[in-house]
Amino acid sequence: MKVSKQQRSDAKKLFKSCFKDGLLDEGKAFEVVKALVEKKPRGYMGIAFHFERLVRLDVANRTATVESAVALDDSQQASIRGKLTTLYGSNLILGFAENKDLIGGMRIKVGSNVFDGSVRGRLSELASSF
Amino acid sequence: MSNVLEEIQAQIAGAKTTVAKENVGIVREIGDGVAKIEGLTDAMLNEMLDFGNGVTGLALNLEETEVGAIILGDYTSIKEGDEVRTTGKLLSVPVGKELLGRVVNSLGQPLDGKGDIPTTATYPVEKIAPGIIKRRSVSQPLQTGIMAVDAMIPIGRGQRELIIGDRSTGKTTIGIDTIISQARANKAAEEAGDKDFRPVYSIYVAVGQKQSNVAQTIAILEKAGALEYTIVVVASASDSATNQYLVPFAGCAMGEWFMDNGMDALIIYDDLSKHAIAYRQVSLVLRRPSGREAFPGDVFYLHSRLLERSARLGEKYGDGSLTALPIIETQMGDVSAYIPTNVISITDGQIYLETDLFYQGIRPAVSVGLSVSRVGSAAQIKAMKQVAGKIKLELAQFRELAAFAQFGSDLDAKTQAQLNRGKRIVEIFKQQQYNPLAVEMQVAILGGVQHGAFDDVDVEKIKDFQTKFQTYLTDRKSDLLATIKAEGKLSDETTEALKAVISEFKESYN
Repeated sequence: MKVSKQQRSDAKKLFKSCFKDGLLDEGKAFEVVKALVEKKPRGYMGIAFHFERLVRLDVANRTATVESAVALDDSQQASIRGKLTTLYGSNLILGFAENKDLIGGMRIKVGSNVFDGSVRGRLSELASSF
Repeated sequence: MSNVLEEIQAQIAGAKTTVAKENVGIVREIGDGVAKIEGLTDAMLNEMLDFGNGVTGLALNLEETEVGAIILGDYTSIKEGDEVRTTGKLLSVPVGKELLGRVVNSLGQPLDGKGDIPTTATYPVEKIAPGIIKRRSVSQPLQTGIMAVDAMIPIGRGQRELIIGDRSTGKTTIGIDTIISQARANKAAEEAGDKDFRPVYSIYVAVGQKQSNVAQTIAILEKAGALEYTIVVVASASDSATNQYLVPFAGCAMGEWFMDNGMDALIIYDDLSKHAIAYRQVSLVLRRPSGREAFPGDVFYLHSRLLERSARLGEKYGDGSLTALPIIETQMGDVSAYIPTNVISITDGQIYLETDLFYQGIRPAVSVGLSVSRVGSAAQIKAMKQVAGKIKLELAQFRELAAFAQFGSDLDAKTQAQLNRGKRIVEIFKQQQYNPLAVEMQVAILGGVQHGAFDDVDVEKIKDFQTKFQTYLTDRKSDLLATIKAEGKLSDETTEALKAVISEFKESYN
């Protein structure tokens, strides 16, 4: 969908207004969308589309995925959760997944940053060095 | 055996596992050689991005929620949702003498089918130009071999001289003649074992040209024996706008290597008009705001940062130089258009080629009135200054008088003499393409003009007279030419010798 500059600007203002203490207030974000859909201001579809994108990107930025070659037990998961929360804050959305392709080790993706300690990662680094 | 085992065990125990940190993003949109990527929060401007499968890109647009990147290579294999990672590197190209004689693309990859190029060094494509302290003023001549240029619009090593004109006026020919002239001088010095001679290596950058034209140019250089001193960097019309945008910078990086290593290089950008058009295409697809004639706002900076990298360095920094001959194509002789005025204001002078002169048979079609070299006689050897000092003035006077004389009024002897001299100078400056003249030959011919040797020869026979005079000098009076070359100036003795040779030749010609 083509979103105009004005719609992007309006969506950005609405998005910024949903922040409280530097964190996105999900309840307020939901209210904003509800209000947009009910009141239908001019260009509301474009505003809603871009608003949704900004929320999606914000959520993606604070989403962490921990992939491991073998399933982690509860204590390991708690330890990782504690360390990541200390680094990235309490509103981090954390998920754990098993990925046998990693062969060994872990790969943690937080937002755009990837910390690859897996065997597969080291092998591909070795291969690319040749 | 147990010692070895213990050592291995100690090494394994002491081994630390390292964690690699990467920054990744997801392709949101791909098309027209441009990708929009979400994520990549750590991407830096002009950073190389890895799209996987050997495809790389350059991050050009760092926006709030996404990164706009141009793709180097085949973008048809990239699709929405692909993962992209930053590399932390700037785009670099291979540099070095190993590239001489080869034809490469904008990434330095060979195109001539002669195998891989075993270079060891790489230089970044985008680099900050040398600062003020590192520079030295231009004082060494760069002989183009074209008499009209070397006599009246002399170019020095480290200068930027623009070649500007309409289509088919001989712009590329001036560039090629200059390359051939450097190659011939390099070869002559090598054969003579001249240790003091500084060879000039050439780089020919073809931007957006037809591949048939590039092939023809390469064939001409090869035939003239100039290709072994030349690097040809090509992004033809069928290459992506990204490659056409990058190729002058890649060529400049190759030239900078010579400059930084104390050598002299010449780079010809053919042509920057097509470069500006390619950059416009890239900017519009990246949705950058457009300005005059739909060019992006930083089109001036595009050419200024490229041409500022051509300089002459001080002795402390190696005394190397990079001379640039950018080419701009005008439409209907309009030098006041956007891109031509931009590049004219950046360069240290221009050689203006006119269509009218071309069709009158004056080739090279150099307009003496509009052409200028801001370095001037500082870039001429003393001998040339002695013989060519007044030529520009005489031609200017001739042009003024010629317009007056066409009304058919009676002319006094002095005016008639000026007209005669002017017509002969115009004839002498006509030169065959791909046939550059050595500087000592030019000095000898212009010395003849100065002493009136050509004044009593019919205008229609001037070219024949000149050709035979050149042959006479080469075959029978090569010692005079060698003296002019060695001394670099016309002493009284040499001047007398030249006059004697001219008289001798004239007798045999008649």
